[in-house]
Amino acid sequence: MSGNSLVLPIVLWGHNAPTHCISSLLVMDDLSTIITGCHDGQICIWDMTPELEINPRALLFGHTASVTCLSKASASSDKQYLVSTSENGEMCLWDVSDGRCIEFTKLACAHTGIQFYQFTIGTQREGRLLCHGHYPEILVVDATSLEVLYSLVSKISPDWISSMSVIHSHRTQEDTVVAVSVTGILKVWIITAEVSRMQQDMDPVFEEESKPIYCQGCQSISFCTFTQLSLLVVCSKYWRVFDSGDFSLLCSVPSESSQSWSGGEFIAADKVIIWTEDGCSYIYKLPPSCLPASEHFRSSVGKTTEGSIPPLVYSIADSTDKQLLICPPVTRFFYGRREPFHKLLIQGDSAGRLTLWSIPETSPLPQLSSSEELQVSASISLQEAFDKLTPSPAGIIDQLSVLPSSNDPIKVTASVYIPSQGRLVCGREDGSIILVPATQTAIVQLLQGEHMLRRGWPPHRTLRGHRHKVTCLLYPHQVSPRYDQRSLVSGGVDFSVIIWDIFTGEMKHIFCVHGGEITQLIVPPENCSTRVQHCVCSVASDHSVGLLSLRERKCIMLASRHLFPIQVIKWRPCDDYLVVGCSDGSVYVWQMDTGALDRCVMGITAVEILNACDEAVPAALDSLNHPAVNLKQAMTRRSLAALKNMAQHKLQTLATNLLAADNADKGNMPKYSHNSLVVQSMKTNITDPDMHVLFFDVEAVIIQLLTEEAQRPNPTLVSPETLQKTPGGADKGGSFLANKIFKQVKETIKENIKEHLLDEDEDEEEEQRRREEKSKSLSLLEYNLTMDTAKLFMSCLHAWGLNGELDEVCLNRLGMLRPHTPISFGLISRGGHMSLMLPTFKDSLLRRLAQGCVDGHKLSVTEVVGKGTYGVSRAVTTQHLLSVISLANTLMGMTNATFIGEHMKKAPTRPPRPGTPETQRKSSVQTSSPAMQSQIKQGWSQLAAMHCVMLPDLLGLEKFKPPLLEMLARRWQDRCLEVREAAQALLLAELRRIGQLGRKDTIDLWAPYLPQYVDAVSPGETDAFLVLRVCEVETDAF
Amino acid sequence: MVMLGADQSAISELAKMTAASQIERTVLEEEFNWLLKEEVHAVLKQLQDILKEAARRFSMPSPSLEGQLKPENFILGSSTMDQVKGVLTLQGEALTQADINIKVAKSSQVMHFAFRDDKQWKLQQIQDARNHVNQALQLLSSRDESYYFKTGAEVNKLMDAVMLQLTRARNRLTTPASMTLPELASSGLMKMFTPPMPGDVMVNFYINLSKLCLTVYQLHVLQPNTTKNFKAGGSSVLHNPGAMFEYNNTKFEVSHVHKVECVVPWLNDTLVFFTISLQLCQQLKDKISVFSSFWNYRPF
Repeated sequence: MSGNSLVLPIVLWGHNAPTHCISSLLVMDDLSTIITGCHDGQICIWDMTPELEINPRALLFGHTASVTCLSKASASSDKQYLVSTSENGEMCLWDVSDGRCIEFTKLACAHTGIQFYQFTIGTQREGRLLCHGHYPEILVVDATSLEVLYSLVSKISPDWISSMSVIHSHRTQEDTVVAVSVTGILKVWIITAEVSRMQQDMDPVFEEESKPIYCQGCQSISFCTFTQLSLLVVCSKYWRVFDSGDFSLLCSVPSESSQSWSGGEFIAADKVIIWTEDGCSYIYKLPPSCLPASEHFRSSVGKTTEGSIPPLVYSIADSTDKQLLICPPVTRFFYGRREPFHKLLIQGDSAGRLTLWSIPETSPLPQLSSSEELQVSASISLQEAFDKLTPSPAGIIDQLSVLPSSNDPIKVTASVYIPSQGRLVCGREDGSIILVPATQTAIVQLLQGEHMLRRGWPPHRTLRGHRHKVTCLLYPHQVSPRYDQRSLVSGGVDFSVIIWDIFTGEMKHIFCVHGGEITQLIVPPENCSTRVQHCVCSVASDHSVGLLSLRERKCIMLASRHLFPIQVIKWRPCDDYLVVGCSDGSVYVWQMDTGALDRCVMGITAVEILNACDEAVPAALDSLNHPAVNLKQAMTRRSLAALKNMAQHKLQTLATNLLAADNADKGNMPKYSHNSLVVQSMKTNITDPDMHVLFFDVEAVIIQLLTEEAQRPNPTLVSPETLQKTPGGADKGGSFLANKIFKQVKETIKENIKEHLLDEDEDEEEEQRRREEKSKSLSLLEYNLTMDTAKLFMSCLHAWGLNGELDEVCLNRLGMLRPHTPISFGLISRGGHMSLMLPTFKDSLLRRLAQGCVDGHKLSVTEVVGKGTYGVSRAVTTQHLLSVISLANTLMGMTNATFIGEHMKKAPTRPPRPGTPETQRKSSVQTSSPAMQSQIKQGWSQLAAMHCVMLPDLLGLEKFKPPLLEMLARRWQDRCLEVREAAQALLLAELRRIGQLGRKDTIDLWAPYLPQYVDAVSPGETDAFLVLRVCEVETDAF
Repeated sequence: MVMLGADQSAISELAKMTAASQIERTVLEEEFNWLLKEEVHAVLKQLQDILKEAARRFSMPSPSLEGQLKPENFILGSSTMDQVKGVLTLQGEALTQADINIKVAKSSQVMHFAFRDDKQWKLQQIQDARNHVNQALQLLSSRDESYYFKTGAEVNKLMDAVMLQLTRARNRLTTPASMTLPELASSGLMKMFTPPMPGDVMVNFYINLSKLCLTVYQLHVLQPNTTKNFKAGGSSVLHNPGAMFEYNNTKFEVSHVHKVECVVPWLNDTLVFFTISLQLCQQLKDKISVFSSFWNYRPF
């Protein structure tokens, strides 16, 4: 999905920072970035200044299980890559600068350690990742493609590898991998040039040496990089130093009774730092027998006695006033490879806190009595960073949730977005449910304007019924049209499930069938029995599953004998089975009709049953507990729906059977107008309040705007056919793809008309009733969803403060609004992986911008509003510029395309019914003068021009990350004409900007990727081809 | 003394309720403290004992040979057919000896294969299960009786980590790796036998639940030009007759599949121990969760 359509996320984080229980840590080589992985699967990128100030920048979503290890994946400092793995075998390659997912893969086994290493192959140096984990080999993986190239295997007593280190010997010019297995056997593999050249599917490489060193429970091993002559092995009960030549024991130090060591590293040729599981660290000076420079080196070989504890230089205890921790912290040591050469001990804990100690070069004056305590250099937690911000990070309905007694708003604990009504439903921790127009509430939170003065804005409806926290919400009609569009289902911590009528706000029924808080509400698939079809399935924390009939208002089945929490619900509609998968791997098969337990199985059979359900129902509505998975599924489903839609449009001719289409078809057609904005709630941890991500689909916004333009009761523009001619006329030749967009526009119009006519077919009485209800529901607020979405989106994207005149035009004539603070955007990359900027990113931004300023005056947050996002990364710039230009161009072609005026308050008028006297029509027709119209058009064109051409000059090069040529080139043939035109304009502007030399560099850069022969073209090659082609054309032109 | 006014009674009722809830809260708090202080450690102790017992099963010392694991012989057979018989020697996680007799259906000739003397076959499933149990034990031992649990979340986190290891350990035994036929053909297993295995026979060893299983596939070579209906099979634990695959540019079809098995009693014990421990963990988590809704309560 991310590959094709242009979707931009905007995040509303809320006051509470996401839970970040740190499970792994990494500091990049230049010491300017810290990466942390957490138990819930997210990765946080923190910026660090040379003065050791730390600030969280972005959160990466993609892993569905705890992050087990992190490693750098590139050697160069200008293109920093990061690889991460999770408990369930996922492996991801990320770009550190913008959080883009470059590559991802999944293996059956979990990795517990990764190390990046560059092997020399001939004259080239190839990046490799050496992985070990819950398997007996060391896998050597290509650092760019993540493919397993070969494996290092043990001949003698193979077992899991608990720790590993790589060293390049200067004497023999060979790379040596040293590892310790869980049973305490040290293994040595030598990677010869021949081995490194090996491709996939080759014979395994066997170990060179295998020696038992009797180190049970090995935690880490590391070479002394200063002398290359000693090896430090840390086990939970002792740490030892070995000679790295023949692995003879030089010294051994036991841990104190209650502590267990968890890692260590050499910090100098004669000093080691060792840390414990509970977060204390100690720096020891090694005895002379361990120092290769000393004459006593190896003097103790063969007679090492335990208990002789070397002198302690420093002890570093964790501060006692810390928050309660729920699991042991992670400690690591890193040293800078360039100025200012910090030696850093860094610790991440379960409260999302990073603590940093800078270890001084020189040891303190020799003190005989006791070792000195080292002071903390820096410490910050995610929540602290959030708390420091003014204004606090906005939540989606903060203005409606303020409590008089406290600063913190009432937390939103569950939410669902109803696209057909543009309405967001939020369940809160006090048991109330709020219905609010999504764009309106987002505008309040993100943008400045007159709405700031109104209390209780936007109009909303509150449903009260739950006694305590609302845990889940479901709007069944959105999943399947067979449900009543008035019903909303909510589940709470008070064990109850409530059905609401959202139009009247009435509570229809309370189910109290479960014995625990409700954790999930699911819609059964289409082909279930009619009785089940009108049910929703509820899952509770007492490990029970219920089928609650919305029509009969009773529970028709309760499956409750599960011993373990329910992880997945699947369906076998043809057999009338409900299949429950539990967290321990057991599967229970229930008969839906009788409520009888048919089978309970484990092992292979269980796996087979679950898989069989997937085959039977292609789009099985399984839902997992993990929010990241849910999101991923939501994204995939969305894209599937879009694909399906595309296929349908291909088949459907825009024939005269406009109204002949059957009713069943209606449900399958997701209306484009509804997808322009999707509000997805997310939580990183089940205990967190919801945060909300607004996904803007640029293509859908454009289609929707065009649709509305076509529906406008203006005789010159009313027919779809003229619409196709007007904008499409510019590109008559090869616009087959673009034509499809217009078909979609027409389809949507057709849909609207059809729906309207279908309405009429129904009983007059029914119609009457519905209209009453509609009027009730709409009494909340009548507003134009499309224009509101565009307003919100454009206001967020515009680079404010660069051109005062244009800003005035935007505010006064076009009706855009200035954001309160820089907006947290996100970036969607491959496979639904996503990077979301934390609200604290602006601090890093301020610092960077201040550095650029010659006079060094501090910039205020308001000064960087809007400009900031164009300095984040090249990929972000590309996406944002494409969106803003294509939308501005679309709006330019519309009549009355301003966000001020009466037309914003009303939903677009439907095409008049045949035979109905046109009464309302007059009122909605705008009476704007042609002069006004041309001014508006001019405004949009200025806006587009500024973003297309002037931005690099206005911002200055150090604050502007130019767009990526290959991303633009890929959009050269985009199916959406507006996006295509924007991409072309931007590409040409960028090529002109980089000048002759830049173009030459580009050609040199991409030329090697050109295919040797034309068939079998990989995506990289296509990019290369496209970029080169465009470059050549341009170079000729100049 | 007793007020009879309706209002008063309502007020006293309310006062009683708040008082009751106050008492209730204190009782709950006490109970929760007991849970954290006493019950959690009791459960952890019980878990450790069970898992130590399970871990012991993986390394039964040999009574005669010092420092070596006890070798056990298993006779693999099936009640319904007698085409395949196997005698396997399991020593810890490794199969050290194997004798396999295959009666070929067409001719009544019996083929006999045994492991080469210098070879043994490691059952990765057993090693993985053992390592996972050891990791679970390590997690448990890091929190001994002297440790004071301060929050329920802390206990939950520990239980999650332990349960992850235990689930993995059990899954390794209950779900054998599914392999494709070419993967099986290229695995080192085929090169372990003397006399060397002919090209039209393949064997596979694995653990399914508590059973040690041996599968023998008899193959026949498909004509190179028969492209009719050739469809390479996917990966599976047990392939059915008729499954086809291509290996070394030759196309094969499975003609017969023989599966024989034998229960390994100590594996059965470990599976029972895993199941009991998992249930103990879950029960402890459930107990904690009863209080969690109480602690998270915030009046509005």
